[in-house]
Amino acid sequence: MTTSRRLSTRRSLVALVATLGLVAGACGGDDDTAEPADDATDEADDTTESAESADDTADDAEDTADTADEASEPSEEPADDAEPVTISYFTFSAAPDHLEDLDNIIAAFEAEHPNITIETQTASYDDYFTSLQTQIAGGTAPDTFELNYENFVTYARSGALLDLGSAGIDTSRYYPLALEGFQDDGTQYGLPATFSDVVLIYNKALFDAAGLDYPSADWTWEDERAAAEALTDLDAGVYGSYQPVSFFEFYKALGQAGGEFFDADGNAAFNSEAGVAAAEWLTGKPGTIMPTLAEIGGTPNFDTNLFQSGKLAMWHNGIWQFNGLNESGVDYDIAVEPGMVQKANAVFMNGVVASADTEHAEAAAQWIEFFTSSPTTVETRLASSWELPAVDDEAAFAAYLEITPPANRQAVLDALDDIALPPVIERQAEMQDVIGQALERIVLDGADIQSTLDQAAADVDALS
Amino acid sequence: MADLAIAPADGRHAARRRARLIGRYVVMVACAAVMIGPFVWMVLAALKTDADIRSVPPTLIPEPITGENFTRVTEAFDFWRFTANSIGIAIASTTLQLVTATTAAYAFARMEFKGRDALFGLYLATMMIPLQVVIVPLFIEMRNLGLVDSYAGLLLPTIVSSFGTFLMRQAFLGLPRELDEAAFIDGANHFQVFSKVLLPLVKPALATFAVFAFMATWNSFLWPLVITQASDRHVTLPVGLARLNGRFGTDWNVVMAGSVISIVPIVAFYVFTQRWVIRSVAFTGMK
Repeated sequence: MTTSRRLSTRRSLVALVATLGLVAGACGGDDDTAEPADDATDEADDTTESAESADDTADDAEDTADTADEASEPSEEPADDAEPVTISYFTFSAAPDHLEDLDNIIAAFEAEHPNITIETQTASYDDYFTSLQTQIAGGTAPDTFELNYENFVTYARSGALLDLGSAGIDTSRYYPLALEGFQDDGTQYGLPATFSDVVLIYNKALFDAAGLDYPSADWTWEDERAAAEALTDLDAGVYGSYQPVSFFEFYKALGQAGGEFFDADGNAAFNSEAGVAAAEWLTGKPGTIMPTLAEIGGTPNFDTNLFQSGKLAMWHNGIWQFNGLNESGVDYDIAVEPGMVQKANAVFMNGVVASADTEHAEAAAQWIEFFTSSPTTVETRLASSWELPAVDDEAAFAAYLEITPPANRQAVLDALDDIALPPVIERQAEMQDVIGQALERIVLDGADIQSTLDQAAADVDALS
Repeated sequence: MADLAIAPADGRHAARRRARLIGRYVVMVACAAVMIGPFVWMVLAALKTDADIRSVPPTLIPEPITGENFTRVTEAFDFWRFTANSIGIAIASTTLQLVTATTAAYAFARMEFKGRDALFGLYLATMMIPLQVVIVPLFIEMRNLGLVDSYAGLLLPTIVSSFGTFLMRQAFLGLPRELDEAAFIDGANHFQVFSKVLLPLVKPALATFAVFAFMATWNSFLWPLVITQASDRHVTLPVGLARLNGRFGTDWNVVMAGSVISIVPIVAFYVFTQRWVIRSVAFTGMK
């Protein structure tokens, strides 16, 4: 009844708490050094907890003994690692569907590192940052936690993160581009855990019925538009193509049109000719080949439901939809998204970082490295479609590519050849709002595209 | 003739009165439908299958009806522990709020001391400050007290309610002073007047406040979210239910099943106290 209202309040709260959190966090840093007694108590607590969980570890070790044998020999850690430590890990991507997968990875890690116990905390993405900010501000940040690429810079620059490079990590297994994504100013604050990209998902039955060719990798916007117009049947409630009018679609379309979001000096440059073309492309869709924004409204999963009901021919969405689509039984396949001047594909990346305040930097780094790149993790993620591990290992993906549908799963990897990463600034959330609102004004009020983008560019410059 | 002349006039009058009555019922039924609609939708959605809840256009009646969502929600997380936490915290918090609100209200209503009204005004002013503003300082305070991720940390900030104090003070002010004066003459002290004379007379207000306090604690989200994160030991039901929201999609039928279960205690508590609440609303003119 009040859920939707509570949700939206909560979302605006996140912003508020975030601001407070950063302010308080800045002050809190001094506090910590001034209270050694406090820290000592914490340490005492940790030891008790680890003692409690020692039994669990023993159990887990038994459970996973087989797995450990199959994989490389359980590494004999140096003797000075014997002191038991507990590392907390806070994540938004495990609940509700992958808690068991997470437990399996932890069990494998604890079997290899008997002195380290991992304690997990989970929250949904909507609530995650509220909780994280409060914990950081309160000086009780989790030892290790998950961050998405867009939020990473904000945290790195606030001084909340540990320099993992100094804690001893091996970075050779990662996709170089993903690894760079979690650097700031040359410092490796995080390791990339996963990536997901966006592709063009299409309903084969609708294309067959209309006698049209399936989308292919060499399609441009014009091909998509023409097919979408032919496929749209308003009387039957069938739409040709669905692409959200949002920041994330805009920066990508801008790349496809050959434009840049920021110029070399860091000034907003998206009010260019390419920017106008991108905005025209996105804002011309609602009400013609896709439902109007009013029809979509705030309905949760509107597009998912539409596609799964067989009433949407093409859908710009991410590879995280595959599981749901396979369950629904809709006949679909995928292609790399159409480009214009060039190809540009959106990638969402999540990484894992350690708190600057952690007392067990080395153990934290070991856990992060294991969780992001170990063979156990790679296998677990691929087997359960829990996003894709950000490792540079084609052999590992072979089994993944054989899973159908979609038959053309290779497009997931092909899309990585032309990546457009989202522009990132410290005041990220505000920038995304500026772009989102500008696009909405164009659609809903029919505002002039060039002048609206000019204004948005000025607003973004004021933020950065 | 005279009788005949009156009869149709009377009939018209009665008809008009009946029409007005029907009109009034139509409005009331419409209002009731608006109020109860989301509730009905929630229950029906909880009985739908995954495919059914995703169908376009959305349907109202589940086809087929399934009870599987209720099983799924109890398996999605440590459902029974979270529920027990919620019930325990709600009962403890409501009890303590009743104690603090009535005793403070007695002082504000019946005791004379310097600065009383200013203090009361200050007290009420705290109602205007939303939790979101104080949450970080409050969290730091709890950390310094060593109460992060504990039942005490979850409970303590909720046990004093300025709204409850205000409500109970109004109830006490509505009672004639002669009652306490008579008791004082008979040798009663403040505590006896409070507990033996005044408290039994404000039962309806107590019941009303108990329902409000129970609901507020039961539904509270933000504070339990931030204070219980370090482990799963002290998490409450609303925080657990929020974890069912995926980043890219949510199984609303499962969320609704959890919501249906989560309102059962409130409904039970209300049914139990309803008689006093209705009397209190009539008595204080409060809604």
